[in-house]
Amino acid sequence: MRIVLIGFGTVGQSLARILTNDRDWLVKNYGFEPQVTAIADSRGSCRDDNGLKLDLALKVKEKYGSVQKYPGNSERKTNTHQIISGTEAEVVIETTPSNFENGEPGLSNIKESLSARRHVVTANKGPLALAMPALLELANHTRMQLRFSATVGAGTPFLNFASKCLPGEKILGIHGILNGTTNYILTRMDEASLSYQKALAEAQEKGYAEKNPDNDVKGLDTAAKIVIIANWVLKRRISINELEITGIQNLGPKRILTAKKSGARIKLMGRLTDSRATVKPEEVPADNPVCVPGNLNAVAFSTEHIGDVTLIGRGAGGEETASAIIRDLVDIRSEYSI
Amino acid sequence: MKFGGSSLANAAKIRNAARVVERFSPENRIVVVASAMDDTTDRLVELGELARRGESARASKILSRIQKLHTKTAQATSSRKESKELLDRIDRLNKELEKTVQGISHLRELTPRSRDYLLSFGERLSTPILAAAIRSLGLKTQALTGAEAGISSDERFGEANPLAEVSYHEMRRRLDPILARNEIPVVTGFIAATVEGSITTLGRGGSDYTASLLGAALNTNEIWIWTDVDGLMTADPKIVKDARVLAKVSFGEALELSYFGAKMMHPRAMQPAAQRKIPVRIRNSSKPSLEGTLVSSAETPNGGRVVKAVSIIRSVGIVTVSGTGMIGSPGAAAKVFTALGSSNVNVMMISQGSSEATISCVVARKDVDNAVRALQLALLGQGLVDNVVAERDACIIAVVGSGMKGTPGVAARIFGAVARKKINVRIVAQGSSEYNVSFVVSEREGPEAVRVIHDEFQLGRKP
Repeated sequence: MRIVLIGFGTVGQSLARILTNDRDWLVKNYGFEPQVTAIADSRGSCRDDNGLKLDLALKVKEKYGSVQKYPGNSERKTNTHQIISGTEAEVVIETTPSNFENGEPGLSNIKESLSARRHVVTANKGPLALAMPALLELANHTRMQLRFSATVGAGTPFLNFASKCLPGEKILGIHGILNGTTNYILTRMDEASLSYQKALAEAQEKGYAEKNPDNDVKGLDTAAKIVIIANWVLKRRISINELEITGIQNLGPKRILTAKKSGARIKLMGRLTDSRATVKPEEVPADNPVCVPGNLNAVAFSTEHIGDVTLIGRGAGGEETASAIIRDLVDIRSEYSI
Repeated sequence: MKFGGSSLANAAKIRNAARVVERFSPENRIVVVASAMDDTTDRLVELGELARRGESARASKILSRIQKLHTKTAQATSSRKESKELLDRIDRLNKELEKTVQGISHLRELTPRSRDYLLSFGERLSTPILAAAIRSLGLKTQALTGAEAGISSDERFGEANPLAEVSYHEMRRRLDPILARNEIPVVTGFIAATVEGSITTLGRGGSDYTASLLGAALNTNEIWIWTDVDGLMTADPKIVKDARVLAKVSFGEALELSYFGAKMMHPRAMQPAAQRKIPVRIRNSSKPSLEGTLVSSAETPNGGRVVKAVSIIRSVGIVTVSGTGMIGSPGAAAKVFTALGSSNVNVMMISQGSSEATISCVVARKDVDNAVRALQLALLGQGLVDNVVAERDACIIAVVGSGMKGTPGVAARIFGAVARKKINVRIVAQGSSEYNVSFVVSEREGPEAVRVIHDEFQLGRKP
């Protein structure tokens, strides 16, 4: 299967590494032989219709910070339009950074790919947070697949769990911790009585938080995931603009202490009920299954007949996210079997 | 707000439409949708057919009439400042139209796709003219095609289905900034584009559909359809002297009324507005001070009267198949409707007695002969049907009102009133929505039936 990679940051590179290392295993077990025909990063691109050498692309990226120096057919500028429509491929993988203002450049990349009759696997939450009903409709119209396992829970299969393991069961609501960064910060504020600033600095030092942590601490990342779950699992057509969102950036140690005294923790909870969708810090009893520590994620699906079902797992990381992308690729690959 | 072809029929009407926009612009943010001028769409259909058949003399006559109409109207409606740019644009479009027609006559081929492209000129020509006329009054406008406004559709050329969510998203993305600059977007009705960018037309419902989609996308307070009637009426004023305009009806009622011939949006066009609960107002563009009829999701009482309106569909006929062989024979009805369907006869009403010996279908009078022939060929001589008979002298009377739902005795009042006038009722049908009761009487007695029902429910009295 021929693949175009748009975005070659942590996730894209992890993916390239797995595709290189696990190639034989993927071919043997799934008949899935990945062939990356183009890679584009923010500064340039490279193409080879017969398949790029991924180990070479990784080396070039490491050395020059862009794939534009890849020997042969490479370019200084990134013309994603030309790469998407002009490169032979079955699938486009979108891993550019999430943008919750207007979804770009991911939104245009996904629209263009689906319109050019390419399947899309995205790890980018921005376009889905803003325009998921439109993108699903477009994919349905062009009869292409739009997959996004990597956007919620990274490697932990929250989305597939709900849609594949609970058919016929009415899911009444969903709540949980969907952002590892903020959960780490809150855990450290609680365990080590750190201030918000100190905990954030520690998270940044350990690589859990980005230099600009806004998307995480302001709750946008969690909100985007709630939107994706709402659209995909509950078929509710909402966008991030319809959510009530409160982040953790103004949370003082006092509130954490008060909660602690009553045997609870403050967690940044995403919550979806019949009538409302919210993201805000909430007091959660310490013995509640979703009350997980560190950078873990936990999502509880409230169902009609079997009560709450909770799934816990790591929700971030380059390799974890890449693994979810491979899951989607294998799924798409299997659609081609007759 | 959307202006229909009759509201844009000539220079004077276009200037009037522009003044209507101006009148409401201070208190509202407005998006305008324009139909093609007058009957331009029909002319373009004709033009396409002539070109395909290679009748170039007649084709070029129609072509030049269309070109002249738009050039002259553009000259007459825009201020001197606007006219140069506008005339250039009209000129370019006229040339493009000419090339399109040449292409069709060279190839002698008019595919649904090229037909849509040809038809799109109606709105593409009228829209910049209306936009310039509004600009001439000192307002800021921007003329856009359906595609430029973000309406995308599937590839069913001739009657394309919009990709609603994709369109909603794109329309907001493209129109919000224009509205934020206090400019009035003037959008071509009727036309959209596939995701690849080929022009499509929305078919039935046309420009109203565009207006409804725009209203739903931008979550407007209301959608106004400017036309040449005062609104939806309790009955045809030519038949009933004291017929009056209905101030409010529900989407459900409007749906029934539109089916029964009221000058109203096509049900298909109403759907986006109804789904997002955006009220639609039908107004008269030459009397903008009138409020018209508001169609909304609210069920509004009509001063205690369960009926809102009574309408008539003339020129229909009844086709009846009968045969003792049909009794207890599964699939007999299916055969009847398959035969009618495959000869493109639209069935308006159906009646079958529980004895099953006859099935009667009400069809448009122009279809009666076709229907009879199709049924005879398909069904006679198989022991199922003995006889196919047609009656040409009939009309349908439809009584509409959501208050009929769950109110006993409405049918009794309707048929009691009709019976007192000794009018013979041939076929009766009530939809399971209970929003309408319809029945068939002879064409001659139709107007009288409308009048007695209008009187019986005192529809002429103000609520």
